[in-house]
Amino acid sequence: MKTNFRKIAKDGLISSNPTLKLVLGTCPTLALTTAAMNGIGMGLAVTFVLICSNVIISLLRRAIPKQVRIPAFILIIATFVTVVRLALDYFLPDIYDSLGLYLPLIVVNCIILARAESFASKNGVLASAADGLFMGVGFTLALTLMGAVREILGSGAVFGYKLWDFSIGFFSSSAGAFFTYAVFIALFALITDKAAERAKRKKAKPLNDGFIDDGKEAQ
Amino acid sequence: MENNLVYSSSPHIKAPRSTRQIMIDVCIALLPATLAGIIFFGAYAALLVALAVIFAVIGEFVYLLIVGKPFREIAKNFDFSSVVTGLLIGLTIGTNYPWYAPIFGSMFAVIAVKMLFGGTGKNVVNPAITGRVFIFISFQWAVGAWALPNIGSIYGDTVITSATAVPTVAEGVVPKIRLLDMFLGTGMQGCIGETCKIALIIGGIYLAARRIINILYPTICIAVAGIMTVAIGGFDFALFLPAVLSGGLVLGAIFMATDYVTTPNTKLGNIIYFIALGILTAVLRYATKMETVSFAILLMNLTVPLIDKFIIQKPFGHFKVKKTKGEK
Repeated sequence: MKTNFRKIAKDGLISSNPTLKLVLGTCPTLALTTAAMNGIGMGLAVTFVLICSNVIISLLRRAIPKQVRIPAFILIIATFVTVVRLALDYFLPDIYDSLGLYLPLIVVNCIILARAESFASKNGVLASAADGLFMGVGFTLALTLMGAVREILGSGAVFGYKLWDFSIGFFSSSAGAFFTYAVFIALFALITDKAAERAKRKKAKPLNDGFIDDGKEAQ
Repeated sequence: MENNLVYSSSPHIKAPRSTRQIMIDVCIALLPATLAGIIFFGAYAALLVALAVIFAVIGEFVYLLIVGKPFREIAKNFDFSSVVTGLLIGLTIGTNYPWYAPIFGSMFAVIAVKMLFGGTGKNVVNPAITGRVFIFISFQWAVGAWALPNIGSIYGDTVITSATAVPTVAEGVVPKIRLLDMFLGTGMQGCIGETCKIALIIGGIYLAARRIINILYPTICIAVAGIMTVAIGGFDFALFLPAVLSGGLVLGAIFMATDYVTTPNTKLGNIIYFIALGILTAVLRYATKMETVSFAILLMNLTVPLIDKFIIQKPFGHFKVKKTKGEK
């Protein structure tokens, strides 16, 4: 079976982007996006866990009995979350502190379990690894963008670098998190819908009703 | 206008009163308070109120232009509700706020709270309240000390602030302010439109006389808030009037809580709503030691669908069918 990496990449980044299309893993999305740096840290941690757990689950997909697959998945995910936690605590204590409780909570992050259940347990190792990578990157990009917007508006800084003294405190509050998230989802849906419409129009053959205005298009 | 017919379900009542007429009446009712605010707090207050109104209207127009309505149609259907929203936002901030605060507040209120939900009559919460809360959360860092009004206490002595009256009352201590000062707003610190209670009450009476609001409801809300404060403060009845007259309770109860869109549809529902609003205001004031009328109204707005679900208007001509024996 030939794996379609282009489709996997497109799924992870755009058409089923975990944050903006599937609306999974909303808890860290809402709580951690007060700063862009948090978004990157959280996103990369989730990406690592996602790739590793996808690979292992894909390898074991014939060994794990159907009835106990969820506990087995959780066990595998928890292993890698522990690895990430210990590594971050040792190498990047600042990020470890700012992610706080949400780092161990990656264990129950819906994105990872959802990909294990719907992709890794049904596909080959290489495809699962690619799926984990692109899902994780999609999550990271969405979180970082949201974090940057909220950081600029809510505290007048970006990546911790102070831009100006002006800030709208609403965007740092949790109400602002929901508001920003909703605006992001709406804009993303608008853009993807417009793009899909355009692609459709391009693909569609021009109507040949005895009137050809452009020779190129009629080919 | 190719379509002159309006399709709607019964009842088919043609009322001479339009949304625009009601909103203009509310604007007129707010005029005394606006004038009092400008007299008390000077030109800067006028600037804040004007910016709030102008940007609320601009917000509505910009949104409608973006979604592709022609300008002439927008102007023709303009119903002044965004003017009321802007005016209320301007009146519920103090002169200690920076000049750009009402711009952001009004734009947020009109675009995010009203227009995104479908325009006038479809908003879930009151836009003016949300705009005020937005400003309150967002610009704490830029807020200076409360400004003193231009007109001092009518007794001609020291000024004690309205801003500190709310926490004082909440702690169960009778503040050392003359009630007449609180009533007239002389020598009182506070938001632009909330200090002069007599101007607000005149506006409320105008609205009641034009049958736009039922004066019973704000009265219930204010009285319940006062009684609840008295009860929390260990039944010290000297707290009643200071609790009622301090902060934005009168303004909120008359002009903001009575918004048609965000109140229940039935009389019983309204009474429950306003009693709960009064209790919530007093309890939140006690819990947070600050002015909480706007948060209380915001919270109660969210319960309106629930109230409407359980308290349903009895249909005209409805009567209970008596169960006859033998009928299954």
